[in-house]
Amino acid sequence: MERRTIFLLAVLPLLVVALALNLLVGYRPEDMPGLIGAVLRFEAQSYEEAVLLFQRLPRSLIAIYVGSIAAASGFVLQSLVRNPLASPATMGVNAGAALFLVAGALVFDIGPALQGVAALAGALAGFVSCIVIARFAGRRNDPRGLSLILSGALVSMLFTGMTNAFLLSDPARRSEFLSWVVGTINHAYIDRLAMFWWVGAAAIVAFLLLARPLTLILFGAEKAASTGVNVPLVSRIAILAAVLGSGSVVAVCGPIGFVGLIVPHMVRPFVGNNLVFALPASLATGAVVCLLADVFAREALYPYVLSTGLVTDLIGGVVFVIIVKRFYLTPANREAA
Amino acid sequence: MIRRGTATDGKPVLRLANGLQMRTGNLLAGCGLVAATLILAAWSTGLGLTDTGLADLLRALSGSSLSDAETYALLTVRLPRILLGFMVGWAVALSGALLQSIARNPLADPGLFGFSQGSMIMIMLLLVIAPVAPKSLVALAAVTGGLCVAGLLLWLVGGERSSGLTIVLLGIAVETVLSSFGSLLLLYLPTETSITLSEWLAGSLFQANWSVIAAFTPLFVLGLVGSLLAGGATSAYDLGTEMAQALGEPVARSRPLILLFAVVLSAAAVTAVGPLVFLGVLAPHIAGFLSPAVGRARLLLSGLVGGILVVAADALTRGIAAGLPLPLGLSLTMVGVPLFIIALRLQALRKLQSH
Repeated sequence: MERRTIFLLAVLPLLVVALALNLLVGYRPEDMPGLIGAVLRFEAQSYEEAVLLFQRLPRSLIAIYVGSIAAASGFVLQSLVRNPLASPATMGVNAGAALFLVAGALVFDIGPALQGVAALAGALAGFVSCIVIARFAGRRNDPRGLSLILSGALVSMLFTGMTNAFLLSDPARRSEFLSWVVGTINHAYIDRLAMFWWVGAAAIVAFLLLARPLTLILFGAEKAASTGVNVPLVSRIAILAAVLGSGSVVAVCGPIGFVGLIVPHMVRPFVGNNLVFALPASLATGAVVCLLADVFAREALYPYVLSTGLVTDLIGGVVFVIIVKRFYLTPANREAA
Repeated sequence: MIRRGTATDGKPVLRLANGLQMRTGNLLAGCGLVAATLILAAWSTGLGLTDTGLADLLRALSGSSLSDAETYALLTVRLPRILLGFMVGWAVALSGALLQSIARNPLADPGLFGFSQGSMIMIMLLLVIAPVAPKSLVALAAVTGGLCVAGLLLWLVGGERSSGLTIVLLGIAVETVLSSFGSLLLLYLPTETSITLSEWLAGSLFQANWSVIAAFTPLFVLGLVGSLLAGGATSAYDLGTEMAQALGEPVARSRPLILLFAVVLSAAAVTAVGPLVFLGVLAPHIAGFLSPAVGRARLLLSGLVGGILVVAADALTRGIAAGLPLPLGLSLTMVGVPLFIIALRLQALRKLQSH
C-alpha cells in the first residue's frame, strides 16, 4: 500500500483514540460503560456524566473545530503563498481577529454575534496588513519570502499590544477576556461555536471543492491556467476561505497559535502536496493535535489548568525554529536566506 | 589647546592637544541630547496627579519643607521613575548598538533576539526554586539567561550568519516559546510574587523605587564601563569581521567580550523593569539619523537617545493617559513596530540603490 493510504487509514482511528482520551481521561475504568451509555443516550444521571456531557464534550467539539480548520487553512496558505512558515498565526490573521473582537466588545460594546463579524473583519485586516507591509518593507532579492513572515510577526506584535492596551483600559471587563485572549478551549465557549460553526464549515467545503485546481496551481500559475483553471479567482476564494475560517476559530476560543503551522509539516511527508488527499489528512491530523494539546493543557500540571493556546505556542515555537533551521539554514539554502 | 580641523571626509572636528579628536557634529548632538534630557526630566517631575513639580523639588533641596503628599510624589514616585527610566533606556539602547555592530545586523535588539526574555525566565526559575534569593544571585541569573539565549541563537544560525532576517525570525520564535514558558512558570509561584511578576513581565516602571535603582546600578555600571572600554572596537566591526581582523582587532577575544557586555546591559535592564522590545533597534537608528557617528560616540549618542525615549514614554503615560496604566513595554511595542517597519523599508531602499 502507498504511504498516503496508510496515513489516511491510520489517522481516523487516531482521531477516535484522541477523542476518547480527551473525553475520558481521569475517569475510573469501572465507570466507563455507564459514561459511554450516557453519551449515547445524551442524558446525564450522575455528576460525572454531567461533567462529561456538558463540559468535556463541548471542549472536545471546540478542539476538533479549532484544530481541523486551523490545519486546513495553514495547508492552503502554505501552498498558495509558497512559504513553509505561512499559517494563520504567523501571518497576523489571528492577532487581527483578536484585536477587532476585543476592540468591538470593549469600545463599541457589541454582542457575541457582532463580535464574530468583527473577528472575521479583523482576520482579513490582519492578513492584508501583513501582505502590505511585506510589499512595503520587502527586499527585491527575497526568493524565500522571509520578509512576509517577519511582517506577519510584526503585525502580530502590534495588534497583540493594542489588544492588551484595550484590555488595560477597561479593568472591569478585562477578566472576561483575559483567558480568551491567550487562546483557551473552554466549555463556556460552546455558544460561540454554535453561532459560528457554519463559517468554518463553508471554508472546508470551499477548500474541498477547490482542492484539484489548487493542486494544479502548485505546479505554477501558467501551467494551471493552461489546464483551464481561473488562477486569480481560485487563489482569492481559497485565501478568503482560509482567512475567514481562521477568524471564526478566533471568534470561538481566541487565538490558538501554531496548529496551522505544525500540522501541514506533519502531513506533507506522508501524503504529499496533492490537496485532494492532503486536505482530509490535515483536517483529521489538526483535530488530533488539538485534542491532545487540550488533554495536555488540562492534565499536565493538574490541579492547574493551562490555556491550550499556551501549549500550542510552546510546541509551535520550537517547531518554527526547526522549520527555519531546515528550510533556511541548511547549507544548500544558506545563500538564499 | 583645542584646535579646529577637518576630518578626512571634510567634516569639522575638534582636536585636543593629546591627539584625541571629536566630530563637532557629534559633540553638538550630544550636548543637545543632554540638554533635552534635563528639560524633559524637569518637565516630567511636574506631571501626575499630585500638583507639584521642579520648583517644589528645588525648594526642598534648599532646606524648606514640603507637605507629605508632595514629598511622596516627588521623592518616592517621580524621581526614581525618571532616573530608572533614563538608566534603563540607556542600557537597552547601548546593548542594541553593540549587538548591531558585532552581528552586522541593523535589526539586532536584545528584546527581539530574546535575550531579555531569557534573562526573565532565568530569574523566574530562580524565584521558583528559591523565593528569597539575594539580589546578587538574581543579577547572576539574569546574565546567565541572556547568555544562554545568545548561545542558542548562535548555534541555531551557525556562527557567522547573523546578518540576515533569519536571526531576527529565530529570535522572535525563541521569544514566543520563552514567554509561554514564563506564563507556565507563573502558575508555580506564590500568589503575591506572581502578581508582582506579571506586572514586571509587561515591562513597567510602576515599581521603580530607590532599592530597585540600588540593585540595578552595579550591573549597569559594569556593563557601561565594559562596553565603553571595548566599544571603541565597534567601528572596526561595522566594516565586517574580516576587516576588523585586518585592522588589528583581536576578534576572537573582543567579539565575545562585547557580546557579554551587551547581555549584561540587557540583563540589568530586565532585572529593573522587565523586558523591553524594539528600544534597542530604535535608539541607535534615531541617533544615527540625528548625527552619524561611529565607535564610542555612536554608543554614547544611542544611550542618550534611549534614555530620552523611555523618559518621554513614561512622561506621556503619566501626563496624558493618566487613567490608563500602560506598561512601558506595551507603549514601546506600539510605537516601535511602525518605526521598525520604516527602518526595514529604508534598509530595503538602500539595498536597491547599492545593487
